[in-house]
Amino acid sequence: MYEWSEEQEMIRRAVRDFVDREIRPHREALEFGDLPPYDLLRKLFSTFGMDAMQRDSFKRRIERERAIEAGDAVAEKAEGPRDANSVAFTMIPIIELCRVCPGMVTAMGVSMGLTGAAIMGKGTIAQKERWALDLLTMDKVGAWAITEPNSGSDAFGSMMSTARRDGDEFVLNGSKTFITNGPHADTIVFICKLDEGNPPAERKIVQFVLDSGMPGLEQSKPLRKMGIHSSPTGQLFLDDVRVGMDRLLGESLDAYGGKSGREASKATFSMERAGVAAMALGIVDRCMELSIAYANDREQFGQPIGQFQLIQLKLAKMEVARMNLQNLVFRHIEMSAAGVGMSFAEASAAKLYAAQAATEVALEAVQLFGGNGYMAEYEVEQLARDAKVLQIYAGTDEIQISAVARSLLADQAGAT
Amino acid sequence: MSVAHTGGACAVCYRAVARDRIPSMNVVVCVKQIPDPADPGSLDPQTKTLKRDGKLILDESDSYGVEMALQLVDTAGGGEVTLVSMAPNNEVSGLRTALAMGAAKAVLVSDDALAGTDALGTAKVLAKAIERAGDADLILAATESSDGYTGTVPEQIAELLNLPSVTFAKEIAIDGSTAKIQRQTEAGYDDVESPLPALVSVTAGVVEPRYPSFKGIMAAKSKPVDEVTLGDLGIDAGSVGWAGGGQEIVEVTAAEEREAGTIVEDDGEGFNKIVDYLAELKVI
Repeated sequence: MYEWSEEQEMIRRAVRDFVDREIRPHREALEFGDLPPYDLLRKLFSTFGMDAMQRDSFKRRIERERAIEAGDAVAEKAEGPRDANSVAFTMIPIIELCRVCPGMVTAMGVSMGLTGAAIMGKGTIAQKERWALDLLTMDKVGAWAITEPNSGSDAFGSMMSTARRDGDEFVLNGSKTFITNGPHADTIVFICKLDEGNPPAERKIVQFVLDSGMPGLEQSKPLRKMGIHSSPTGQLFLDDVRVGMDRLLGESLDAYGGKSGREASKATFSMERAGVAAMALGIVDRCMELSIAYANDREQFGQPIGQFQLIQLKLAKMEVARMNLQNLVFRHIEMSAAGVGMSFAEASAAKLYAAQAATEVALEAVQLFGGNGYMAEYEVEQLARDAKVLQIYAGTDEIQISAVARSLLADQAGAT
Repeated sequence: MSVAHTGGACAVCYRAVARDRIPSMNVVVCVKQIPDPADPGSLDPQTKTLKRDGKLILDESDSYGVEMALQLVDTAGGGEVTLVSMAPNNEVSGLRTALAMGAAKAVLVSDDALAGTDALGTAKVLAKAIERAGDADLILAATESSDGYTGTVPEQIAELLNLPSVTFAKEIAIDGSTAKIQRQTEAGYDDVESPLPALVSVTAGVVEPRYPSFKGIMAAKSKPVDEVTLGDLGIDAGSVGWAGGGQEIVEVTAAEEREAGTIVEDDGEGFNKIVDYLAELKVI
């Protein structure tokens, strides 16, 4: 794959048109006025039939799982070939939304991607029907709660949140922070350690599904942050929240034996990291488009600034980044179509490059725009603030570097 | 209104049973595929016509007719929308957009002999293509295309097909075998009625064209496009194209640049100058 197919290109054009007409006019309210993004996302979903497609695919999946449970069908390997178009159709809205409001992709990705996928991956059929479908269609808003005030990159090692058995129930306690969609979430996947009186390092990682409004659960107002204002971020406080086994993902503690809790979260991280390349591509694409227009239009010393070699260098580097990012996105689509999963190390390398490229390009766009670039009126100011988060969330640059390097070293050790 | 029939002979006694009458509405929409206005290309210096050898897109003016047709079919509860188009090189990109919106099929006329065809020649070709598309209850077209702007083709088609023609429709409602149309005028609109079938030209901007859904885009590729030549339609190549053209483009000149506006320096009394100016224009 070296370019979008005819259908993919049609979808790209249609989504860009929708974003320009329906979302761009709300950029001010989304980025500077606390307008939650969910209604606009729902409009995007319903306009292009993405909600109906999710419902159809959910129905087919549940029917297949019921058949497997009844012994009428054989479980397939998790990694099977996927239709290239269906993968491209998830990438294109990410890219196009990121040209205007990268935060909206974060809100959407966490709700349907992380939270929805966590329930689809680990939940029972009953749990999927109860919570996941509404998240996949964006009818409801989801949050995936892992980070805590004292546990970020060392997510599991430093995790303090606990679940304690009390008869047939669990009692949940803890604080979560930097939770995307936290302030507005209807459904929350809460990740914590099962406290069975054993030392914290030996405790199982377990996941529960919570509903907004449950006694003992408090959702904070949105936190003020540097960028992606169109993605509301908040804190969650759990004070003796009582839940039954029906809210434990998988409805059985046996499902959390060994390292499976950590492995499930690792798989989620891999998926999240692949999406960041598409986000970066959207940001870089828009920064470049604005920068080229400005370089042709803005005159200093009697000529367009695009005639100066230092400006040309910036534009050329932006194009190199755009080409690399587009190739990463195409590679992801090709690999999915071939049924080949991206390794954790490769997903980490892709995320590391994408995040750095987006931040560098967006900051260079600000520089190219000079004083105007520093003003909120010019979009590159927002995109530069937004891009920075890609180097921090879904695993910091430093964590990605460590994942890539460890994999290289382990490969060498394994070969000798 | 045509009637689609269901039912048939009773399987037990072989006597004809009453057929359910399901109202349906078959609408043909004339659509033009034009060079992307965002990348308009250039004029051929020899022929003084727009070069059309690149990728073409659906003329936005036609998307309103497609939307209106889809809504009429939805309201009727049955029937389908068929597209007719004339384009060089069997170009289908613009048709795929309208098929993705929900049109069922298309007739595309493409023939080298069509190069240079004028408005009347286009009408002759589209009239034959409409006949090939099958029984139509209603034919819709834009009032004019966004690249040629002659604004004469719909009425010429109506004349060739001997159909009533209504122009500048902003709203169409179907009542039995009659179309009730709100026809835009400078002062507002006139209510007019026409028996069906009829040819109606639709004003741009009167409906909100739907975005094609992802599923619609995927389905568009497998929808039938009947690609035909002049021979298939029984049209003499000498009656269209450069050979049959009744008009000639003698000269093309650049549009006059807009004159710079008047700048009023506000010395605190600037509003008076604006009031005087508006009074001069008899706006106030």
